[in-house]
Amino acid sequence: MASKINVLLVDDSRTMLAQLERILGDIGDIAIVGLAGGGAAAIRMASESRPDLVLMDIVMPGLDGLSALRTIKSNHPEIRIAMVTSLSGDGAKAEQAFKLGACQVLGKPFDVDLIESLIESVRTEHFRAATEAR
Amino acid sequence: MGVKFFGQFLIEAGEVDAGHVREALQFMEAENPLIGQIAVAKGFMQAGDVKQVRAGQRNRDLSFGDLAVELGLLGSQQLVEILQDQRSRRIPIGHALVHLGHLASDRLGLLFDAYKADQAQFDVSEIPLPDGLACRRVARHVLELLPRFLMRIARIQSKVGEIHVFDQIPEFAEVRVSVSIRGRRGVEVALVSDFEFAEALAMQAFGLSASDLDSELVADGVGEVLNVLCGNAASGSAEEGHRVEVGPPDYDADLCDGWIVDLAVATGQAAVVLSTF
Repeated sequence: MASKINVLLVDDSRTMLAQLERILGDIGDIAIVGLAGGGAAAIRMASESRPDLVLMDIVMPGLDGLSALRTIKSNHPEIRIAMVTSLSGDGAKAEQAFKLGACQVLGKPFDVDLIESLIESVRTEHFRAATEAR
Repeated sequence: MGVKFFGQFLIEAGEVDAGHVREALQFMEAENPLIGQIAVAKGFMQAGDVKQVRAGQRNRDLSFGDLAVELGLLGSQQLVEILQDQRSRRIPIGHALVHLGHLASDRLGLLFDAYKADQAQFDVSEIPLPDGLACRRVARHVLELLPRFLMRIARIQSKVGEIHVFDQIPEFAEVRVSVSIRGRRGVEVALVSDFEFAEALAMQAFGLSASDLDSELVADGVGEVLNVLCGNAASGSAEEGHRVEVGPPDYDADLCDGWIVDLAVATGQAAVVLSTF
């Protein structure tokens, strides 16, 4: 049986968080370890829960997603972070996210197939790391 | 699903991975000349002027070129010449990936054609907009994309109607959410609607049931749809070389002037208000 992937969701929109929870619930074998409404909470919760994957919005009031991405990758480079944004066509924002270490930039509205494929790649990596550790 | 840049399209198509794109971006950053470098090479600016502009950027949210012009260190026409030069010399990401051996050169043209076909649905045609409206390019993208977005993400049929001078908030406007878009000037895009439209939008766009929703969550859903719409419009504008910044939704929109765009919708009532600031 596949082990569960721990995911932290970060978005200032409650509806977007609810939608992501529903999509990930449908994929299955995923544990949502936290819901953060902004960048500062994301940094704190990532340190506490050490998720396998963070799905984080770029544009948020207060500390934005790119600033939080920089801090989390600096503190915990092993955590995979995918940015979700309606600005994915703006090459500059997406490029900045990749430069800061994002493993993917997912556009809004969501393409569920892309989220599934992202989860699959994290699951594969997770399984490989667990096997190597034995 | 939305507007995307070529590197992201290649990742989604499984042609390259994020590491390849990151490497290509680093290569492009090293190879593509900066505005300041070109300005110095052309004799338009001195090295000290470049330092002065970079220092100024720490306190001002302006591009290097715009700030250099504002500080009187570069002429507007010189900036246009530099930007043309920079664009003509810029190595695009596809070529960078080929150069680094991450993409076969004979696949580049084919993949770029597929990318263009994928993005063709986001092309916008000319629609008449009032004089005095700021960020006209992105405002046009907003109005062009709106009916397609409502249909695609919420299955709500709609049609953009006439544009009038805004004189009062419509009586039906129980839900009012706005998003600010900033370029050289700014435009505030507000979606105003009755509760029936807002609830249908929130439910269908996010797969929620009526029992999941309270009035705050309905407004949040409308705000997120508007945010996604404006973000995609901004991305379309950026593709045309005009970058703008999109702010988070404002749920306490203070509507007092601008233009109101009639919106014929299959569920409830709605309109868009555009205000310049």
